Amino acid sequence: MTASVIEPTLTVPQAASAISVRSLWKVFGPNADRIVGSPEADLSRAALLESTGCVAAVRDVSFDVLPGEVFVVMGLSGSGKSTLVRCLTRLIEPTAGSVLLNGEDVLTASPARLRELRRTAFSMVFQHFGLLPHRKVIDNIAYSLEINGVKKDARYARANEVIELVGLHGYANHYPEQLSGGMQQRVGLARALAVDPQVMFLDEPFSALDPLIRRDMQAEVIRLHHDLGKTMVFITHDLSEAMKLGDRIAIMRDGAVVQMGTPEELVASPADDYVADFIRDIPKSHVLTVRAIARPLQPGEDSTGPEIDVTTIVRDATPVIIGARRPVKVIENGVLVGFVTSDDVLRLIGSDGVDGP
Amino acid sequence: MTTVATVKGTLRKRSVRIGLVVLAWIVLAFVLRGLNTLVLPTSENTPFTSVLRQAAASIRGNRTQSGAFIYFFNPIRAFVESFIEVIRAVISLPAGNNIIPLVGWLGVVAIIGFIVYATSNWRTSLLAMGLMFLCGVLGMWTFTMDTLAMTLGAVILSLAVGLPLGVWAGLSDRVLAVLRPGLDLAQILPTLVYLAPLALFFLIGTAAATIATMIYSIPIAIRITSHAIRSLNAGPVEAGVSMGSTRWQLLTKVQLPMAKHTIALGVNQTMMAALSFVVIAALIGAPGLGKPVVAALIIRDVGDGVVAGLAVVFLAIMLDRATTAAVARTGTFVHESGRARTRRRIGLGAAFVAMVVAIVLSRYELWAAVFPPNLVMGDTIASATSAASEWITTNLYFLTTGFREFVTVGFLNPLETMLADAPWYLTIIMISLIGALIGGRKAAITSFVLLALIVLTGLWNDTMVTLAQVLIATVIVMLVGVAVGVLVGRSRRVERWMKPILDAGQTLPAFVYLVPVLALFGPTRFAAIACGFFYAAPIVVRVVADGVRDVPSSMVEAATAAGSTKAQIITKVQLPASKRSLMLGANQGLIFVLAVVVIGGFVGAGGLGYLVIVGQSKPELQGKGLAAGLAILFLGVVLDRIAQAGAGRRGRGDAA
Ligand SMILES: Nc1ncnc2c1ncn2[C@@H]1O[C@H](COP(=O)(O)OP(=O)(O)OP(=O)(O)O)[C@@H](O)[C@H]1O
Ligand SMILES: [Mg+2]
Repeated sequence: MTASVIEPTLTVPQAASAISVRSLWKVFGPNADRIVGSPEADLSRAALLESTGCVAAVRDVSFDVLPGEVFVVMGLSGSGKSTLVRCLTRLIEPTAGSVLLNGEDVLTASPARLRELRRTAFSMVFQHFGLLPHRKVIDNIAYSLEINGVKKDARYARANEVIELVGLHGYANHYPEQLSGGMQQRVGLARALAVDPQVMFLDEPFSALDPLIRRDMQAEVIRLHHDLGKTMVFITHDLSEAMKLGDRIAIMRDGAVVQMGTPEELVASPADDYVADFIRDIPKSHVLTVRAIARPLQPGEDSTGPEIDVTTIVRDATPVIIGARRPVKVIENGVLVGFVTSDDVLRLIGSDGVDGP
Repeated sequence: MTTVATVKGTLRKRSVRIGLVVLAWIVLAFVLRGLNTLVLPTSENTPFTSVLRQAAASIRGNRTQSGAFIYFFNPIRAFVESFIEVIRAVISLPAGNNIIPLVGWLGVVAIIGFIVYATSNWRTSLLAMGLMFLCGVLGMWTFTMDTLAMTLGAVILSLAVGLPLGVWAGLSDRVLAVLRPGLDLAQILPTLVYLAPLALFFLIGTAAATIATMIYSIPIAIRITSHAIRSLNAGPVEAGVSMGSTRWQLLTKVQLPMAKHTIALGVNQTMMAALSFVVIAALIGAPGLGKPVVAALIIRDVGDGVVAGLAVVFLAIMLDRATTAAVARTGTFVHESGRARTRRRIGLGAAFVAMVVAIVLSRYELWAAVFPPNLVMGDTIASATSAASEWITTNLYFLTTGFREFVTVGFLNPLETMLADAPWYLTIIMISLIGALIGGRKAAITSFVLLALIVLTGLWNDTMVTLAQVLIATVIVMLVGVAVGVLVGRSRRVERWMKPILDAGQTLPAFVYLVPVLALFGPTRFAAIACGFFYAAPIVVRVVADGVRDVPSSMVEAATAAGSTKAQIITKVQLPASKRSLMLGANQGLIFVLAVVVIGGFVGAGGLGYLVIVGQSKPELQGKGLAAGLAILFLGVVLDRIAQAGAGRRGRGDAA
């Protein structure tokens, strides 16, 4: 189950994916388009900068996002997350590679088609909100509809719907500067939802908010995702946020994806020290399922304990395991795969914060 | 050994090297004085000025024949002239076979009051109306209306050209790169230089004056508009793109609305620049307040000059306050609430009715049409001012003349001797050397080439006379500017006190300073220096104060914690830390001083400015006037390059 650095299936674009990215590059600097495919492409980012003056902000990134999935991209500041997500919508023109959206090639789309995609198929939420200061909340939200020629009544009706959806009732006629940061980002969310896009891109949407508001907003996104089932690409540098929201997580370093997998896979088997460092502060019991600590029954142990499903998070299983006072059966599809005891849970919790596994 | 090392180390310091160059310069200038000074009597032409004169004559001769005139210059002139005439017909020129314009004084006051109320608030509106009324009281109503018409016309035309170009330059790097050299040049070109060439192509009169004004103010509109677009917060713009806006939608729905405030500031700046130029453009036949100012300067009539100058001041304050208040309203995107809006609508309705009544009255009632003569006090003010000026010159003689002679004998004469009485090659080499020390090879080569070109114009000696005045005035401006700037920068209270003075100082046209300066110091070179000082001081104070204020407070706190005295904090922390601002202030000061010192040709300062003015009135010296304009331009570029290199800023121009 170890997540490989680049999965072999990633060589061919997957038409069934909501988004399919292959060998995407973005190089900033003089003669940037000569770098990809040349020997210099293999240099490290620092060496490349030294020898050519170019920055490889995104290097050879490939991944698929399934319909309805929340795909999180994370990495330290400067690792290329923002550049990557902007390449997907061509706010930044990629240097090389391909991006398919529902099977359609985004990078070769004509300017008119690209505008249409932006108006209807995908939308974006920004770290610093990017609201239009001269427009009321409702006109901010209705902007994409307005530029798409939707009549005023229709677009206000739709805007009012999403205003309700994100909990901004009563603020339609306020101006952005009259709202708190959290409320402004609700406007940002509402604006992105207004066109009912297939895919939403969120670039560190909550980094500028304080922790309490951030938690509210994360819950909001989870709720919206639950209700609306949008495909999301979510950028963050906050691991707990990534774990909370992500179906799958890609970790970037110096422009490249170093590991990709479910939260559990990352925590269970970090690909390298960089990833291990990242996940060190995450309590493993909050991420891992009981599969990770299931083991065979040892001689002399009681085999009559209660059953739990193999996909249960350790933290959620803890009351049962401790309450049972004997080994608990771990069941996958009706088949017994192993046992866990409270000692196993304690050992897992105890390994947190010591060193990598 | 150690002493050799220290000497070497000291020699490596730039300031020491510059000091040595200056020392050598002084010694050599003394030894070689009187040689190769290239003195040229005013009435004499050089080969170059003769060529220019012939060129000018042939241009004049071609006006009715050459295609360039028939298809380019003349149509432009006709269009601009009729545009201005339309505005003048409304407020200043007798309309039809009537003796008054379409709208009499009361109507104009009411229109101004209404517009200012509609765009800002009633208090500013009252102020604007009061100031216009005062222009009438001064007996300057018709002149004021002419200046207003010229200014508004030039501003409308300038914005029609400048705003679109500015937006374009804001959106496209290539367009900005094409425009930038012109914009940079326009920043250092003294106003006086524009006049003669334009009069040559567009004839003396309103058209040439308006076009010259436009050439002066369009770069300002372009610069600020482009800056407004470029400095927009990137977030909303990116969001606009990400939602699929077309370029046009992005411009009209995102960028322009967001840039509105800064662009409005640009309109204010454009307007003030246009006003100040329109006044000076009286020299090439612009109607308006500039005419009585020029007339008074020529016959050195302080009283009349002050009356006309006051009207300029009132008009300037009116335009500045009105546009500033209107700009302030664009500062927030939040619109006022329902009740306030209703109240305002009612107010606007009432004001509109009042305006219409006033306009109607001003067309049918004599007292409302022509400013009532019994209210006019211009002559009284003029004679009172003349008397006061007389009193000052006789009784405060020791003060004004004392100071004047102190500066003139103590500093100006020696410097002028050093620059103008020395061989030209010595001066060129020394200035280029200093340029090299301050700005490196490029500044040195620029200085050398341009100074050599000045020698070729034949106006070397006059250039040096002007340069001496410019340098002395700049030094005085910097001394006072730094002292006051530090005070203003350190204390909020002083800043509050000084702000109105600085604001007023920055909005007044350079021309009006000539009158009081003439009253105080008589027609002398020092009058030009004083004028340059008054004109440049506000900007220098402002730049220095900004610099001092921007010194991180942590630095000041650290120094205070270390037990520094106030004086130590100023000299050891705040001034060194704001060195860039000081140099910037010096650069600005130099350029401002140059612009005004040449105008000082009017008040007996001699030099290049005098030649420009003489060239304007004597056809046989027209070539010399044009050459003097060129020499001013070259001198300006040399000074700007060296000072700019000193300030260490290369790609300037985004900041307004
Ligand atoms: N327009 C640009 N020109 C040159 N280099 C750029 C440009 N934009 C980004 N970069 C470089 O690309 C790299 C990745 O930047 P990016 O903004 O994508 O990082 P990030 O992961 O989003 O960081 P953060 O968490 O700080 O937002 C950085 O080294 C940055 O300096
Ligand atoms: Mg980023």
